[in-house]
Amino acid sequence: MNRWRIHIAAAVVLAIAFHALTVWALPRLIMDRIITLGSGDAQDQSGAQAATGVYLPPPTDHTQRRIVMPNPDLLYATCAYDLRDGPLRIRMAASYPRYWSIALYASTTDNFSVVNDRKTPGQRIDLRLIGPQAANSAAPGDVISPTARGFLLLRLLVNNDPAVRAAAEATRRTLRCERSKAQAEAADTDVRSKRSHGADSKSTKRISFS
Amino acid sequence: MRRQRLIIASLYIAAIFLGVGSAWLWLTRVGIAGVDAGAWRVNLLAGSQNADAYTRARIALGAVLALDRSETLYYTTQRDDQGEPLRAECRYKIEGSPPPARWWSITAYGQDHFLFPNTERRYSVGTESAQLDSAGRFSLTIGPLPANERDNRAWIPTAGKGGLRLTLRLYNPDPAVQQSPGSLAAPAITLSGNCP
Repeated sequence: MNRWRIHIAAAVVLAIAFHALTVWALPRLIMDRIITLGSGDAQDQSGAQAATGVYLPPPTDHTQRRIVMPNPDLLYATCAYDLRDGPLRIRMAASYPRYWSIALYASTTDNFSVVNDRKTPGQRIDLRLIGPQAANSAAPGDVISPTARGFLLLRLLVNNDPAVRAAAEATRRTLRCERSKAQAEAADTDVRSKRSHGADSKSTKRISFS
Repeated sequence: MRRQRLIIASLYIAAIFLGVGSAWLWLTRVGIAGVDAGAWRVNLLAGSQNADAYTRARIALGAVLALDRSETLYYTTQRDDQGEPLRAECRYKIEGSPPPARWWSITAYGQDHFLFPNTERRYSVGTESAQLDSAGRFSLTIGPLPANERDNRAWIPTAGKGGLRLTLRLYNPDPAVQQSPGSLAAPAITLSGNCP
C-alpha cells in the first residue's frame, strides 16, 4: 500500500514537472527555430547579400504564408546571431526619414533592446553586440545580449509611394551584421556541418513578425 | 509482478501526458491576460523581460517578435462591441479618433493569422490612409464588400468564411496611453447590415 502511495506521489510530481517544462521550453523552442531558419535564409541568398549576414524578405503581402500576423505597412530585414564565437558589429545608414527600428530578441523571446530613428540622432547605427559570457569585458556603449543566440529585426515604415519604398529598400540594404573574418570562417564551417546533418523542412516555417 | 510494473509504467506515462497536455490547453485555450479598451485587449508584457513563463509562452505562440510596450502597443480583438465573434463573411464598421501615437494602423487577419488575399494589396488602414471627417474622426469598413462602391479607400477586404482577427498597432504611443493603455478611446466595432 505504501509503495502505491509513493508511486502516485511521484506521478503527481512528474505531471507538474512536465507541465512546467512545457511552459518553459515552448518559447525557447520557437525562438530556436526562428534563429535557425533565419540563419539559413541569410545564407541561402545570392552573392553579396549572403555575406552581409542580413536576410531581406520580400515586401509583406497576402502571398506571405510563412510569417503569422505580419504588418503589411512594414518592410523587414532580419539577422540571426550567435555570439559564442565573439561579438557582432551591427551597422546601418540611419537616414531613412520615416519610422524605423532595430529590435533585438534573446533566445527566450525577450525584446531586450530597441533603437529607433528618434533614439538615433546621427546618420549611422554602429553598435557592438556581445554575449553574456563576455559581459565583464563590455566597453561603454556595447549592447549585451542576455543569451548567446538571438535575432535582430529591422522594421521600416512604408506606404504605397514607390519613392518611399525605394528609400526603405535602399536603407535595409545598408544593414550589416558582421563578425571578424576569422570568427566568421570558423562559424561557417560549424553551420555547414550542422545544416548537412539536420535537413530542415522549409514547408513548415511559420514565423511571426508583429 | 509483471502486471504491477505495467500499471506503474502506465501511471508515469499518463502523468507525462497530463503535464504536457494541461500546459498546452492552458496556453492555447485560456485567453491572453491584458488590459481591455472597448472590444480590444492589449497585453502589456509582450516582448518584455518581465514577462512570466505563461505570458512568454503565449506570446511565443501568437505574437512572437513583438515589440516592448515602450515602442509599440498591440491591441487585438476577435469580437465586436456587442461581444459577438467577428466573422470574415460579415461587414463591420470601425469608427474612432486617431489613437494618440506617432503612427497607428488597423489590420485584418484571418483565423489562421494571415492577411486576406486581395488584388489591390489592401490590408490595413492607418495614419496615412485613414480619411478623417470634419470632427477629426475616421471610419472604415472591413468585410467582403465596401460600404461605398464608388469610394472604397476606407475599406479592408476580407475573403471566405471563418474567424476574423483585428490588430490595432500604436507605434511610439504617447506617454499617457503608454502609462495607461486601458484609457485608450478604442475604435468602435459594429456589425453593418445582415450577416449571410
